[in-house]
Amino acid sequence: MAALQAQQFIERSPLYRQQADATLGRLGDSVIVAHYGEHDESPQLQRCALLDLTNLARVGFRGAAAAEYLLERGYQLPEAPNRALTQSDGSHVARLSQTEYLLLGSLRDAGARIAAEEAGWQFSETANYLLPRQDSHAWLLLTGAHIAEVMAKLCGVDLRPEAFPVGAVAQTSAARINVIVVNLPEGELPCFQILCDRASVAYFWDALLDAMAEFGGQPAGIDALL
Amino acid sequence: MKIMPCPLNGPRNISEFTYGGEFKQMPDPATCSDADWADYVFNSDNRAGLVVEWWMHNASSYWFLAERHTVTDEIVRTFDPKEIFTRRVDFAAPAQAREATV
Repeated sequence: MAALQAQQFIERSPLYRQQADATLGRLGDSVIVAHYGEHDESPQLQRCALLDLTNLARVGFRGAAAAEYLLERGYQLPEAPNRALTQSDGSHVARLSQTEYLLLGSLRDAGARIAAEEAGWQFSETANYLLPRQDSHAWLLLTGAHIAEVMAKLCGVDLRPEAFPVGAVAQTSAARINVIVVNLPEGELPCFQILCDRASVAYFWDALLDAMAEFGGQPAGIDALL
Repeated sequence: MKIMPCPLNGPRNISEFTYGGEFKQMPDPATCSDADWADYVFNSDNRAGLVVEWWMHNASSYWFLAERHTVTDEIVRTFDPKEIFTRRVDFAAPAQAREATV
């Protein structure tokens, strides 16, 4: 079987050129980096790794009735703004303000549940408005023991565990672009879920890898995560 | 760097914020004169002293109000606009546009 190429798919990550030497795997209607070399990337993830989850589904909802709408659909919602919760199916919900929520898809269902939320929303009288995030934001996953040290080189906010515990969200500037940083681990693996402007992610990806270099950081694929 | 306390996000570098102009009470657009409305839209007080201003936190697109001293540049207080805007502002249907006469 011929290897998958990102160019065969309509939806592809803006980082696909930087991922030319990676092995790709199917993710819904698109592809995602499965792994880079032939070796097991698990130790790399534990130390310091960067993954591109841009092709995984994400969507936002905002409005006075957004919380009620999401509760009805079975989501657990964070108690306060700038907090986030992982759901039982592995997807995540971050609360960005009093009335705005960002939903991040799970790799376990290739983002299908969250993609269905975007497809199924309809405009109505209730104050619950869809915020499409698939084409506005890119989604990176920074993993391992050094995530706070890496971010300290790029960002003015204290993201060490004492000040930025699991479940915290920071909307701030990193490497001079706006980012949303969400501290939600994947299982036991320490992770920052980072969302940034999609058109700027090629720059941000390189800036992060540059900051990660002193900690032995490398890009990685999702195989070691599953 | 100067630090501004965002009511939603906490203390952040001032470079993360955008200035949005002086906070002004809006005259009733249905009853005020054109001169009053133009004054509201275009003119600034530019006062030396304690002022209330609109600011936005860029990363979260969150608009809030700040009390700032324009002489010392001290930020006295920042707060959510809900402190002032306690209920929805509805606008009456616009008056019939008058044909311009030449």
